[in-house]
Amino acid sequence: MKSKIFKLIAVIAVLGIAYTGYIWFMPHRNIQSTKAFAAIESTALVNEFLKDKAKANDLYLDSEGESKVLIITGRVATISKDQLGQHVVLLKDASEKMGVSCTFTLDSNAQVDKIKVGDSIKIKGVIRSGAEYDEDLDLSENVIVEKAAIVT
Amino acid sequence: MKNLFLLLLSIVSITAFSQDKLSTTSGHIKFFSSTPAEDIEANNYKVISNLTPATGVLVFSVSMQSFEFEKALMQKHYNSKKFLDTKQFPKSKFKGAITNVSDIDFTSDGSYEANVTGTLTIHGVAKEITEKLIVTVKDGAVTGMTTFDIILADYGVVFTSGKPSTNISKTVKITAHLNFSK
Repeated sequence: MKSKIFKLIAVIAVLGIAYTGYIWFMPHRNIQSTKAFAAIESTALVNEFLKDKAKANDLYLDSEGESKVLIITGRVATISKDQLGQHVVLLKDASEKMGVSCTFTLDSNAQVDKIKVGDSIKIKGVIRSGAEYDEDLDLSENVIVEKAAIVT
Repeated sequence: MKNLFLLLLSIVSITAFSQDKLSTTSGHIKFFSSTPAEDIEANNYKVISNLTPATGVLVFSVSMQSFEFEKALMQKHYNSKKFLDTKQFPKSKFKGAITNVSDIDFTSDGSYEANVTGTLTIHGVAKEITEKLIVTVKDGAVTGMTTFDIILADYGVVFTSGKPSTNISKTVKITAHLNFSK
């Protein structure tokens, strides 16, 4: 009887350690293998935030940072690099003040070599924050999308 | 008459130049926390900032969900309602000015110590701060570097129990690198 109890405790302990290990070393979400929540035009996405910031934040942002994965269609306005060397593609119509800033990863960077300003493309990535014009700071802020890759 | 026209043109040009802003949409900000349990570091390359050399006005906005941690679990804790609640408060902002802007020659290569005073808003809580910013001008490019500590409780981030209370320091070090361009 004692032996059975000891084995049961041992099994529970092993499962507990395994679960703790899994949670502790849980990998980051793979954005490109995550199903997209929606496909949307860059202008439409910007306008959703400009029209009703609270509603758009509630729809697209997640309370633990696992915000919505989107496929965004738009025209390439600029191509640049951030301080980590990741390409940043701004999708924005010429007539708009704000667009969707899409940051690629060091793994997906090479895809940007094949596009140019003026191209119409589709990008999949995770949204981090919405567009707004902050009157107090006199600052125009694009929608920020990261972990981006081009959808063919 | 011609001279008057040229004078007016010069005044307009000088005024326009003085309102020029230096800006970046790819500033880097890092926070670092150290406790006996572990060191935690997170990096964010999406800082948007404007600096007006003529007035010294400096503003920036940080997309809070763009901070990346080594461990996914840390990132979840950081974003959660118990910590920075980034769904409710997706951006941190700063509005202030360099108070000794006349000491900085933005047209001449060099490194200048700037005193910055303004309002930093994190987690929906605004607080007045004064910090040093090292402004470097090199070959026409302007960068700003700063390192300072913030006390999380000053911004309403308080842990009373659980892993974050033992693994995250009450004071975290912030380092920012703003790479401005015209």
